[in-house]
Amino acid sequence: MQVSRRQFLRYCTGSAAALGLSGIQLKTLADVLARGDGPNVIWLVGSGCSGCSVSFMNLISEQSPHEIGEVLIDLINLAYHPTIMAAAGETAAEAAQVGGEYILAVEGGVPTAFGGAACWAWTVDGEEATFQQVVEEFAAGASHIMCVGECSAWGGIPAAPPNPTGVVGVSQLTGRTTINVAGCPPHPDWIAWVLVRLLLGQPITLDEYGRPSALFTKKVHSTCPMKYQPQAQQFGQEGHCFEDLGCRGKYTYADCPDRQFNGGVNWCARAGSPCIGCANPDFPGTEAFFKVDA
Amino acid sequence: MASRTASNKKLTTHLGVTPKVITIDPVTRIEGHLKIQVEIDHVGAQQQVVDAWSTGTLFRGFELLLNGRHPWDAIPITQRICGVCPVSHAMAASMALDAAAGVAVPDNGRLMRNIVLGANFIQSHLLHFYHLAAMDFVEGPNMAPWKPDWSTDKRLDAATNETLVEHYVQALEMRRKAHELGAVFGAKLPHPASYVPGGFTPDVTAARIAACQSYLSELIPFIDAVWLPDLMLLAGFYGDYFEIGRGVGNLLAFGVFDLDATGGDKLLRRGQVRNASAQVQPVDPDAITEHITHSWYADTVNKRPPANGVTSPQYPKDDAYSWMKAPRYVKYPYEVGPLARMWINGDYEGGISVLDRHLARAQEAAKIAQAMAGWLGQLEVGGEVYAPNTVPQSATAFGLTEAPRGALGHWISIDDKKIASYQVVTPTCWNASPRCMLGLRGPIEEALIGTPVTNAEEPIEVLRVVHSFDPCLACAVHVMRPGEGAAVEVLTGQPAWAASAR
Repeated sequence: MQVSRRQFLRYCTGSAAALGLSGIQLKTLADVLARGDGPNVIWLVGSGCSGCSVSFMNLISEQSPHEIGEVLIDLINLAYHPTIMAAAGETAAEAAQVGGEYILAVEGGVPTAFGGAACWAWTVDGEEATFQQVVEEFAAGASHIMCVGECSAWGGIPAAPPNPTGVVGVSQLTGRTTINVAGCPPHPDWIAWVLVRLLLGQPITLDEYGRPSALFTKKVHSTCPMKYQPQAQQFGQEGHCFEDLGCRGKYTYADCPDRQFNGGVNWCARAGSPCIGCANPDFPGTEAFFKVDA
Repeated sequence: MASRTASNKKLTTHLGVTPKVITIDPVTRIEGHLKIQVEIDHVGAQQQVVDAWSTGTLFRGFELLLNGRHPWDAIPITQRICGVCPVSHAMAASMALDAAAGVAVPDNGRLMRNIVLGANFIQSHLLHFYHLAAMDFVEGPNMAPWKPDWSTDKRLDAATNETLVEHYVQALEMRRKAHELGAVFGAKLPHPASYVPGGFTPDVTAARIAACQSYLSELIPFIDAVWLPDLMLLAGFYGDYFEIGRGVGNLLAFGVFDLDATGGDKLLRRGQVRNASAQVQPVDPDAITEHITHSWYADTVNKRPPANGVTSPQYPKDDAYSWMKAPRYVKYPYEVGPLARMWINGDYEGGISVLDRHLARAQEAAKIAQAMAGWLGQLEVGGEVYAPNTVPQSATAFGLTEAPRGALGHWISIDDKKIASYQVVTPTCWNASPRCMLGLRGPIEEALIGTPVTNAEEPIEVLRVVHSFDPCLACAVHVMRPGEGAAVEVLTGQPAWAASAR
């Protein structure tokens, strides 16, 4: 895929200031794009719900990449993604063998019970490969590993007690450092942010849970507009503080109140519902989400 | 590999030749994990599918992790069964909890629940046609992820192909906007936070109503003036697909989008139809059983109704080939989905086939979008959205609704104010079901019989039939068990079919 001059100029003029790029970084981006293909991305889907991919498809941003089409066409070479790729069966499995550098993105956790048989990746030449086998294989050769969402990062909901299929996160399975894009689902901006930095070769500082510090440092509570409002006594009291109803905003680290979801349309507490802490490594936890008649 | 198929014993033909079995794994452009195997042979001059097996290849065990939790946790947690249809699970869970608490939802709550659910139906249907199914007919841009692809039987001329590719790109924006519409009241999509027992959480404001109306004013013309005509364009080249993929001919709908507080009047009604009849019969939930003869569960618990079912995984097991159970109504396999709903509602004039499913899906999206405009008009600004309710000490209840892919039910049992058991029967479990005790194929399996296969290396025709059902496998195989005292034994070690794969 050759990057057209028009595409390149769109990056230069629209993106430089917005991305905060210096002249040197801009040249690097131009070099990357001028090479032709964006970096290979292999996106594996395991014990999850596809919500992370659906969320990513909701990307809309004033910064480049502006929306999902731009990601797919201009930014990356998405060599494998079972939800949207044209090929099926062995043709699809073989497409993942890119024969060069690649970024591994994983959505959904890795089940280890039944010898890994609670999730299969593909059948090639009559041989079935479990998701566990495939993640181990592709993690070993990846230049970077990005865990999209709670499940691939730490197990997520399928790993909630009693974790019936022995789901683990990719880092726990492979021992490799993974860039953990938290959230159930993650905001599409968070996913795009990581991809752009990987594309530019910029280092990403991770916190103790493997989350990019730049994205997951502020508590939801710190910028919540309702934090000084009276407590809601029941639901249907939008605009109140929901701590008494179970809000986890005081110990959840994400910028939801500022960034909001779906093009800035709304977010959980603004719609009258407490934060359930979906960006926490231990989500969903064992406590009830809602303090209702507990 | 051959040991996986249920008809292993019958694989040798009268000529002593082992017939050809094609495996497609993964089936891509669906939600979740699906493996399809078809046996092909020449029937007359045409190579076609003579047998088929549908296998769900992901298992999570949702109800195990719901047991012991606060009943309201069922709403956010069951949503995460599926990121494409989370709203349907939120709706079903909310309805079950409403019933358990005996609470009546205020009209504003009912209307907002419908609006957010409707927005997700439109998003899901758009995603399905343009971004999942269309690539079976359209040749995409010459780059990943649209290449590599199967070039067999691509019939569109260059101009039509280009039109559909342009619309694929436009549809990316349209489905995003459908989700933005849903988030106006739903908080965020996927996984909206606004569903609670007794109603909905946000205020009804004029600004929010106007925002939804604005999105609808873009979605409705896209459905009417782009999507429906695109289907006609496609049918012009692929008209034979009105005769391919019929399947079992039985249709089932639980119904969805309550138009009044009783739930008796719905936008798409509850009913069932045998053998493509024009006569719609009522649905008796007690006539639903789940078979596990060809599923990896112990035979001692076969043919149970969902509320009393038990699930004991068992490997290895002769003749079993799927994690999915086989739901049956009375004793027959039933197809669920937009075609079933529209047919049962008297809104669809056509047959049952690959193209009929795509057409019914688009027509249903148009119908829902129109209805949403009406619901927005009925909302009362500043009115009540939530009726206070408490968790009962103990209760059993259920919620029957529809996901974009078909009939969906949640059954809950509460004891000591905690979830004692929870069961979900999903649409794709109906559609992608394996054979049952009587050896009747599931709907997708049956629909594949007779499908022509031009090129065994690129069985695109098989994909077209499977995709017409809009499979969502995250939903199909998560269920685990309803019933008291059911214990799931987590098996260790390799299942037999992994060891013997060849």
